[in-house]
Amino acid sequence: MLLIFLLPALLYVTVWRIVPALYTAYLSFTAYNLAYDPSLDWVGFANYARLAQESGFLPSFTVTMEFTIIVTVAELGLGLSAALLFNRGMPMRNLVLGIFLIPIVLPPVVVGTIWYILFNQFVGPIPYLLQLAHGPYVPWLTTPGTALFGLVISDIWEWTPLMALLLLSALQAIPNDMLEAAMVDGASGFKLFRFITLPQIAAMMAVAVGLRFMDAFRELDKVIIMTGGGPGTATDFLSMHIYRAAFKFFTLGYAAAIVVTALAFLGVIYGFYFRALRGLATA
Amino acid sequence: MSAVAANKATTASRRSRIRWKARARGAGLAAGVIAVLLWTLLPLFYLVVVSVKPEDMMLGPPSLAFHPTLARYQELLQWDQLGQPMWNSVASSGLGTLGAVILGGMAALAFTLMNFRGKSALFFVVLLTRMFPAVTTVIPIYLIVRMLGLLDSVTALVLLFIGFQIPLVMWILSTYLQTLPKELVEAASLDGASLPVIAVRIILPLAAPGLLSAAILSFIFNWNEFLFPLVLTSFDAKTGAVAMMNYLESEKNVLWGPLSTVGVAMTIPVVLFMVLLRRHLVRGLTAGMLKG
Repeated sequence: MLLIFLLPALLYVTVWRIVPALYTAYLSFTAYNLAYDPSLDWVGFANYARLAQESGFLPSFTVTMEFTIIVTVAELGLGLSAALLFNRGMPMRNLVLGIFLIPIVLPPVVVGTIWYILFNQFVGPIPYLLQLAHGPYVPWLTTPGTALFGLVISDIWEWTPLMALLLLSALQAIPNDMLEAAMVDGASGFKLFRFITLPQIAAMMAVAVGLRFMDAFRELDKVIIMTGGGPGTATDFLSMHIYRAAFKFFTLGYAAAIVVTALAFLGVIYGFYFRALRGLATA
Repeated sequence: MSAVAANKATTASRRSRIRWKARARGAGLAAGVIAVLLWTLLPLFYLVVVSVKPEDMMLGPPSLAFHPTLARYQELLQWDQLGQPMWNSVASSGLGTLGAVILGGMAALAFTLMNFRGKSALFFVVLLTRMFPAVTTVIPIYLIVRMLGLLDSVTALVLLFIGFQIPLVMWILSTYLQTLPKELVEAASLDGASLPVIAVRIILPLAAPGLLSAAILSFIFNWNEFLFPLVLTSFDAKTGAVAMMNYLESEKNVLWGPLSTVGVAMTIPVVLFMVLLRRHLVRGLTAGMLKG
């Protein structure tokens, strides 16, 4: 009887989640163009060989890493500052915190749209205010040098609150008498933070960084909305590169090979992340 | 005499220094709070501003001096205007949630009561599917849906969303069910009651809060989903998120009004649900990535 309760869900997840993932791995060894191939041909490692030579893959990986590292570091710094702020008693803290957290539940498409509007040179206030301040005239999201910056800002807006929340929970778990004992011993300000607070929240910091790194690495929705991977290939993140290969150029086998490569990389990161997680559990 | 006065003076100056310090701390705190609020709310506010701006004011220098129009919000209620994508979002997210809660809830119950080798490994594999980046499965799923003749249908989205959220529901509910007294369930089964009866009569009422938060989180995730609706739907079944994409697709002729209005409409439900869900929010958002 219990089995009847269990099996439908397991079957469902197998059919809609696990089999497709495995099928993607299989596809990566085939040549299949959605537009004109009637069936797929086994080609061995040809797609992976192409990946190594293709001029688009390496820049795509590089810009993805650039984005991932910038937003992770920025969100860690800003999130920690916000967490320290919220950790000091303040009136109506829960309300302020609640408002601060709104961006993390918004549809990513809405987040992308908000910043698309804000950065737009026709309706947005950012280029307008810059002009008022006699700054340079920049069409932010359609200029190669600044498009990535626009995406970074929108990502910081969306995910800094999550980072802050995770770090806040770690800050609040620090025993009070520990801080008091350190203060009696004469520690204060930076020293208190560096030698008492920081070691106590280090494990959670590692987990939060791992979480954001893996998430930012596969960023897609805001890219589709804000830049479409452009201008040119300036923001052609890996997920965008795969999306284009599959649904613009219809080269499914090649797209699948990039998926597998990206997953292998993420798997390594996930290994580190899992160790950090276990560190948190034992701390 | 003078010594006393000097003493008084130093005490007073020390006191004022302490007071000044406290005031500076208070000011710093206030500045921080104001910065946080402006940073979060100004972008949201601007989205609302654009959504009520008359069409002839849309381009040109941003300004707040206009008579707001609510015409676009009326169009949200009309099927042939902005309404259809919103209803598609509601239907696909809602039905997808319902299916996931039923199947995932049953499985979570079975998992809690059963003991077998490899149970935790199996659970881990199920949870792991939540970690797949969207692009991992999008190609095969597109092929399956095309084969089934379900492209551009709400049915396809519902089928898919159920599969996405089953692991989430199982994860939230199984941690929740572990807190319920096992004896209660076992006693009922000794009395000869069959499992479905126990599930509905005894466990369902007890697990209602857990079920509710699982359902709300599933709904939010379905509602926010973008890549799959974008790939699988085109016209009849497109969701609010896909409609927004269509409004800004042609760079030269972005439909700012509909874009921002649907944007606000997509925002309201998730913010309401977030208020309902404060306690479980973070656990759910990091589901499968963060234990405990």
